[in-house]
Amino acid sequence: MLSPRDWWSCDGQGGRESKRPRHATPASATAWPDVEGFTRRGVLATFGLAALAWAMPRTALSQVAVSPESNGNVLVCVFLRGGLDGLSAVVPYADDDYHRARPSLGLGAPNDRNAAGRTLKLSDTFGLSPALGALMPLYESRQMAVVHAVGSRDQTRSHFEAMNAMERGLAAPGEGDASGWLARHLAARPASTASPLRAVAFGGVMPDSLRGAPGATAIQKLEDFRLQTRDAQSARARLGKLYADGTDEMAVAGRETLSVLDTLNRLDVTGYRPQNRAAYPTTGFGQGLRQAACLIRADVGLEIASLDMGGWDTHVAQGTAVGWLPTLLQELGDSLAAFAQDLGPTMRNVTISVQTEFGRRVAENAGLGTDHGRGSVMFLIGGGVQGGQVHADWPGLAPEKLEEPGDLRVTTDYRDVMAELLSARTPNPAIARVFPGHRPKSLGLIKAS
Amino acid sequence: MAAAAALSGCARVANRIGGAEIPSRLDAPAQPTSARRLTERLGFGARPGDLAQVESMGHAAWIRQQLAADQPDPLALGLQISRIDALRIDGNELRDQPQEGTIRQIQRATLLRATLSPNQLRERLADFWVNHLNIYARKGHAAYRLATDVEHVVRPHALGSFLEMIRGSSRSPAMLAYLDNTRNTNLGPNENYARELMELHTLGVDGGYTQRDIREVARCFTGWTLENRFLRPRGRLAFNPAIHDDGAKLVLGQVIPAGGGETDAARAVEIILAHPACARFISRKLAAHFLATPEGPAVVAAERAFRESHGDIRATLGPILTPEALLGAPPIVKRPLDYVISSLRAVAAETDGGPPLLQHLDAMGQPLHEWPMPDGFPTDAAAWSGSMLARWNFAYALVNGGISGTSTPMGRITDRGEGRTLAGVVPIRDAARDPNPVVQATLALCQPEFMWR
Repeated sequence: MLSPRDWWSCDGQGGRESKRPRHATPASATAWPDVEGFTRRGVLATFGLAALAWAMPRTALSQVAVSPESNGNVLVCVFLRGGLDGLSAVVPYADDDYHRARPSLGLGAPNDRNAAGRTLKLSDTFGLSPALGALMPLYESRQMAVVHAVGSRDQTRSHFEAMNAMERGLAAPGEGDASGWLARHLAARPASTASPLRAVAFGGVMPDSLRGAPGATAIQKLEDFRLQTRDAQSARARLGKLYADGTDEMAVAGRETLSVLDTLNRLDVTGYRPQNRAAYPTTGFGQGLRQAACLIRADVGLEIASLDMGGWDTHVAQGTAVGWLPTLLQELGDSLAAFAQDLGPTMRNVTISVQTEFGRRVAENAGLGTDHGRGSVMFLIGGGVQGGQVHADWPGLAPEKLEEPGDLRVTTDYRDVMAELLSARTPNPAIARVFPGHRPKSLGLIKAS
Repeated sequence: MAAAAALSGCARVANRIGGAEIPSRLDAPAQPTSARRLTERLGFGARPGDLAQVESMGHAAWIRQQLAADQPDPLALGLQISRIDALRIDGNELRDQPQEGTIRQIQRATLLRATLSPNQLRERLADFWVNHLNIYARKGHAAYRLATDVEHVVRPHALGSFLEMIRGSSRSPAMLAYLDNTRNTNLGPNENYARELMELHTLGVDGGYTQRDIREVARCFTGWTLENRFLRPRGRLAFNPAIHDDGAKLVLGQVIPAGGGETDAARAVEIILAHPACARFISRKLAAHFLATPEGPAVVAAERAFRESHGDIRATLGPILTPEALLGAPPIVKRPLDYVISSLRAVAAETDGGPPLLQHLDAMGQPLHEWPMPDGFPTDAAAWSGSMLARWNFAYALVNGGISGTSTPMGRITDRGEGRTLAGVVPIRDAARDPNPVVQATLALCQPEFMWR
């Protein structure tokens, strides 16, 4: 049986695949071959200057102009790995076809007689899973919006392919740029500061969305990001001298890293006390958000926090009011609610997006789970969000309305949501480069700050 | 010396102190001695004593020796390799073992060979081709099939026939499963392998093929899958005619008539390999790997050599691996594997290549065979800018006995006779100098210039 934590554990047809590596993968600017780089070096070579190429400063940072344009807004991008069953998280309780397709796994209307399976009312058609109850106050105070029947155009229903497309900001995998959409966002956007902590992936794995990001850092635990030497202070001082004045890319990277270390040293990371009596779950995801809050409060120039939460590949026995999926939803909701409560008024500058690579089959399977599908949900919480709404161009769940072989149609392109988020919250002059070939539609989900 | 001449006009002026060149300016990677540059370009850097040997042999002769790659491996290496299960046992029987251990064993073999083999060019090329034909060890059952791919598809041809390597790869269960050819059927074509075969393996993204060609090549490969029938050897390559698209195909302008059956795939591979873009793409990629640029007269000559030798890798490398080209080329950033191996070699470390050492590669972001995309680990410096802390922590652990299974003979580090270099291999700049030889050795490996090759 598949373990709840093995989001990578299946091949989409019930077979077993293997886990994602637990360590950081490097960021990459471009896939090989680096055509642009070739041309640049080619020009140098043509003029007999090849030997000079490495004397010229060409660093990741030097390509990012420093300007005071930041408005201090932070994006917190949460990726639910494995394919969240959107129909269980945000239930179309008014759709009879839903109850027909989910005789065992379905949740009921907010006024359902069965108290355990009753959803929380979002609208006349949608109800929130009770496991996500912690988010209800945010929805009611219009700080949270839901997007339903949302996803990418990738139809492979393979975790690998679907995430590949989404994290690279593409319609479908296997085309276009190998760099991540967040990386291109950072590169296109004038940097407010040269902060070494512009983009941080909490959890130790650098997600593909940040592949190629200038200065993105993957951090498992803030307190573990340190020099592992007997006398770290003297090591820091000696490295400072070694890296004092080089202009080659690795020397610059070294200085950046030392600056990250200094920043983290100044913060009392272990002593960080959440405010407003916020209580984070002790899980990896909850603690990741706690660390993100710590960095946001410390005002160290963080622009993007990226967090992963795995385990959503619920092929068997996913549960309704209790069980595998509700447990995960509870962890998700409690963690996000704690984060919002901790930051309090600071949430005006912080916007959370929650996405997943695909939704799941409308009909439950014989193992009381659900197989890989298409449309799912996204959550938007915090600054700028036009909350208190479920945005859905609802395609319906009647058999003839489904996409073969029985999936919720994707009627909202996830790129429209992300493009609106970026345009409204962070000044980005080149959205077209972040989502190549895509002309974003306005959804009215985020207002400009 | 060509390099010194070429660079004499630019900002770098080298001091000669104690036989080693020390950069007088710190704003660029150090100007290495020619011998050191050669050992880092062709291989993974020098061990103590190597540089003197390269100088006494002469650069050209040493390069010839590396191209021949016929030096016997040390007994210690052979013994360690021969005990690695993943390399001895058929992949389909490995499945009873935990995947994690299998991946570690394959990584370990790479580390041991790169560190200990005198055939450094062969080992560098093995790494190059493994990345060129990258397979993600954690997709499906790839971990168990990977060793067969590395040992029988890549390594035998690392300095041999590129055409044979690609023919082998196009029949490699690990590759066909990784790039989804197992799902490529007449009713539901999957173009993943066909696309990467042309884009990444042979022709390059600008190689002149079209979407139509991708589709046609994918049709040629329909039906090639892995054996999963009862009582048959599971996981072997198998052709299922029932799911093969047996119509006529048009690949890169050439007709493959209907009814070709299982010969279609091999026919498509031959058409692709004969395409002029292949010679160009491969020689440019090789040149970029060794010379940091895919342009210039060496590449033109390499492309011609590739064509005339029908894809002989040794012949193609000839014009690229000349002392003049190698010494005149700009520096290339060390990927974590390069950094780890060159450090191990510089201090003549003894290692079992076990998990405590491999974990450092993980932390630097280069767990071997674990790059998910088919394009292999990135080569540009920007991609590795996040690895500095992990590099420093590795250097400290290596020199201070902090890696279990790996030890550094202190005599090498404290060698007074070569006070300005670490074991005669790494020049030490003033900021790294320290009365405590262990501190000095740590800092020597941490120097920005040691991040380049």
